[in-house]
Amino acid sequence: MALRVSSLFNQSNNFTRFRLTRFFADSGKNIKDSDQVSTDAVLPKKLTVALVPEEVHIAQKTRQETLAVVRENEDVGTCSGVPEEHIKTRTVRIYCPAKNAMQSGTNNINYWQIDFDTRERWENPLIGWTSTGDPLSNLQVGFVSKEEAIAHCNKMGWKYYIQKPNVNNPKPRSYGINFSWNKRTRVSTK
Amino acid sequence: MLRLPVIKLTAGLQNGRISVARLHTTSSKLQQELVEVFIDDKPVQVPPGTTVLQAAAKVGVEIPRFCYHERLAVAGNCRMCLVEIEKQIKPVAACAMPVMKGWRVKTNSDLTRKAREGVMEFLLVNHPLDCPICDQGGECDLQDQSMAFGSDRSRFVDINYTGKRAVEDKDIGPLIKTIMTRCIHCTRCIRFASEVAGIDDLGTTGRGNDMQVGTYVEKMFLSELSGNIIDLCPVGALTSKPYAFVARPWETRRTDSIDVLDAVGSNIVISHRTNEVLRILPRVNEEINEEWLSDKARFSCDGLKRQRLITPMIKINGNLEAVEWEDALVATARAIQNIAPNKCAGIAGKLVDAEALVALKDLVNRLGGEILATEQSFPKEGAGIDLRSNYLLNNTIAAVEEADVVLLIGTNPRYEAPLVNTRLRKGYIHGEQTIGLIGPNVDLTYDYEHLGQSADIVTQLRNGTHPFSNTLKSAKKPLIILGVDQLMRKDGAKILSETQLLAQTLGENTKAPEEWKVLNILHTRASQVAALDVGYSSTIEEVKEQQPKVLFLLGADDANIKREDFPNTCIIYIGSHGDEGASIADVILPGAAYTEKVATYVNTEGRSQQTCAAITPPGMARPDWKIIRALSEICGVRLPYDNLAEVRSRLEEIAPHLVRYGAVESANYFAQALELSKQVPGSLSSDPLEVKQETLDQFFMTDAISRASQTMAKCVQAVIKQRESNL
Amino acid sequence: MATPVTSGLKQVKPILSLTHVEARRKVITLYKTWYRQIPFIKANYILPVTKEECQQKLREEFYRHANVRDLRVIDMLLVKGQMELQEVCAQWKPAATLLRYWKQTEEPKPKDFMSKFLSGHRE
Repeated sequence: MALRVSSLFNQSNNFTRFRLTRFFADSGKNIKDSDQVSTDAVLPKKLTVALVPEEVHIAQKTRQETLAVVRENEDVGTCSGVPEEHIKTRTVRIYCPAKNAMQSGTNNINYWQIDFDTRERWENPLIGWTSTGDPLSNLQVGFVSKEEAIAHCNKMGWKYYIQKPNVNNPKPRSYGINFSWNKRTRVSTK
Repeated sequence: MLRLPVIKLTAGLQNGRISVARLHTTSSKLQQELVEVFIDDKPVQVPPGTTVLQAAAKVGVEIPRFCYHERLAVAGNCRMCLVEIEKQIKPVAACAMPVMKGWRVKTNSDLTRKAREGVMEFLLVNHPLDCPICDQGGECDLQDQSMAFGSDRSRFVDINYTGKRAVEDKDIGPLIKTIMTRCIHCTRCIRFASEVAGIDDLGTTGRGNDMQVGTYVEKMFLSELSGNIIDLCPVGALTSKPYAFVARPWETRRTDSIDVLDAVGSNIVISHRTNEVLRILPRVNEEINEEWLSDKARFSCDGLKRQRLITPMIKINGNLEAVEWEDALVATARAIQNIAPNKCAGIAGKLVDAEALVALKDLVNRLGGEILATEQSFPKEGAGIDLRSNYLLNNTIAAVEEADVVLLIGTNPRYEAPLVNTRLRKGYIHGEQTIGLIGPNVDLTYDYEHLGQSADIVTQLRNGTHPFSNTLKSAKKPLIILGVDQLMRKDGAKILSETQLLAQTLGENTKAPEEWKVLNILHTRASQVAALDVGYSSTIEEVKEQQPKVLFLLGADDANIKREDFPNTCIIYIGSHGDEGASIADVILPGAAYTEKVATYVNTEGRSQQTCAAITPPGMARPDWKIIRALSEICGVRLPYDNLAEVRSRLEEIAPHLVRYGAVESANYFAQALELSKQVPGSLSSDPLEVKQETLDQFFMTDAISRASQTMAKCVQAVIKQRESNL
Repeated sequence: MATPVTSGLKQVKPILSLTHVEARRKVITLYKTWYRQIPFIKANYILPVTKEECQQKLREEFYRHANVRDLRVIDMLLVKGQMELQEVCAQWKPAATLLRYWKQTEEPKPKDFMSKFLSGHRE
């Protein structure tokens, strides 16, 4: 794509703003129909085919089947759209979400999550809502395993730390001990 | 890199459920005896005696429940956990029924679903439809489960509300609001009160439709753990009074953090909105607080909004006046300028984090000062603070419940560390623990042998001249917990040395495993262990003797520090609350409270943990270490760290365990500590051992934050009122 | 906190370029195209910056990613650069947004510890 458009730019020096707009906004057909201003450089109907020589076409096809060699540790952060300052200065916490103490359900906590350090929040003086300058404050991503979360952070170029997950080791419970006659587990109140 | 739906994957279940994989210890002997059952056709091997509900949890099948709670006794009265078992006519209550070999449990069959629907319908017939005004709304088990398992239509036809159940509300104190009409009689609160809190105040009266949960007579539910029944209540019958009508759970942000109001380091979740802490909830950590939280940690969060220092202040003509940071720093720097060596000192308070401690130590050392004290002094004789085994709860909090004989010396764990006391109570109930106490005769919520109040009983126990020493010496896993307040006595070093000797005698006699540690010190201040680790070895007395020109009070609000003792000293207070310390200061530099900074704290067992910043410090307040760092630059002794990561690497330089978050760095060199302590001169004094907190009213207000809290003040009043009422 | 350094290589499906030589050529082409468009951009938009400043900024923006080595990341950046060029040439981008490259209205954030401390910015 890059090559294609840039080669177009190279063609003529008298590029006007008008023509460029047309070229980008629509297909070649429209240009031809309404092209009354400058008839000297008429663009062909099928730009892409006409401008790209056949060997390039073949090259592109073979290209689709070949593989490129890259390094294993990817650094996607630069092209992720995340502002640079938020890649370099933020710390990610990788953790297992804890059960809400108020509820007994546990089906929604069996995964790993990442979140970011808290940044300043303030009450907006206009309407009283909460404002923040932090684009990542609402970002919470879930992962199946810790390793995946780590890989993601490495890829994005974030610093991270791992919070130790809670190890639960529930004791076996029995209804009978409520009534045992010689143990302190006997229930007095009911 | 899948997003949330991963939780539906089976891989996710196995992965996340670290808990389930280790449900029971599987020794080779047990493995032979395992029983195989099938939960929804999934085979699972469990030891005999396991309940259907726990077996189901092992394969990731969650059975709905109201009354069952894994940390309380099985009650089996809500019937929500009914499941069908193949070839049995009636559904069984999964929470109470032990599994039999070859059972095929169907947790999602028609019969099971119908049973749940029926239970749900009965519960809802007598439950008010006031979810829109109920504080539990959004985090209510009854709501959740009626959505998942309830019927989609109602047969409730009493549109005139002639027979709808209504129960009078009870007044059980300033912390818990009761709306008893909402109660579904799960009895979790009753079981918590009698099992964990150890207060048999709650109970039921009446039967059937007339059953009521209450305190029989009008009485406050006064426990240091009372807030936990709010969490336990599956409906909105028990809700938080200070939090009433404040927020809905979905509109708050939650930040995982650490509690610093005692030295246990309970894990908490801070709910906050619009830069304001709304409530604090416990976060499960099996190694520390399990699922509980003390009332001070939970309810004193309104103290974070009151009495705050929000701007730097300088004393001008005898009055403290608000100034800009530049002015305050320059004024401080002027006081520090050209200071003679060893004329600068620091005292650290209760709630100070390790970062600030290290920064202050670096600053004072650079200014030529050596004296760095904590409010709580530690004896210097013997090994002093050089060996960590001298000042840690070496055996870890979780292991307290495993001991069979416990000796408490000069401590009241119920108020000094409520969550250590729950462990002791757990050991008492489930492990038939024997507990002896040397100190004042206080109510520990369980029976113990009161051995007396004098310190030389420790020696008698070692010599075998005391009747309790036989019990102690025959123990398989003995444990000694020494209250740290006793070390502040004049004979503190001797008490420590005697206790060490006793611990060593016991350790030699028993066949306890190698890693079992008999000697344990129980701290009461969150900053203390980190301060001792970093090297704050002096006492307030030494500071007074030295008469420094500049004295830094790092959140130090102790009543022992008086202006009269420092007539010619410039006192610089760095801290979050306007308390004792700020009132005697010449310069006040406003710091951040524990909810406002990312900071390291080390708990009494030597486990370092970090708080996370939930909100920003109010006004012009700044995190403490930054204040010290900024001051150092103005004074011309720039400290070499600019951000948190750099401070942490400095921490690591001093003591690497400070940044190994979540892990206990256990102490060793017990033998060497003992050898050194044998040289301690002097003898035990005949003064009786005293503890600072004997009754509940002394529990609530112990530090700058809880002293500023209105809720805590109400609690103190309620306790005093209750005591006078003689009920 | 440390990021583990793995130096292994792996085969991936390419986005645009197969080799670094190819990627480099494309980057240079894109750069030249931008460079040549600067007069037209300046003519279309009425910008309070000189041609030299534009060229300087263009260099800066390309040099910002000078250390990117991953082929696919380079390709993605190429695509993004191309899209940006299209937006600017076609004037889809308003002048004010274009001017954000120079951050004229942005107050610079404090960099050193003391000014951060005094202004109250966290981290």
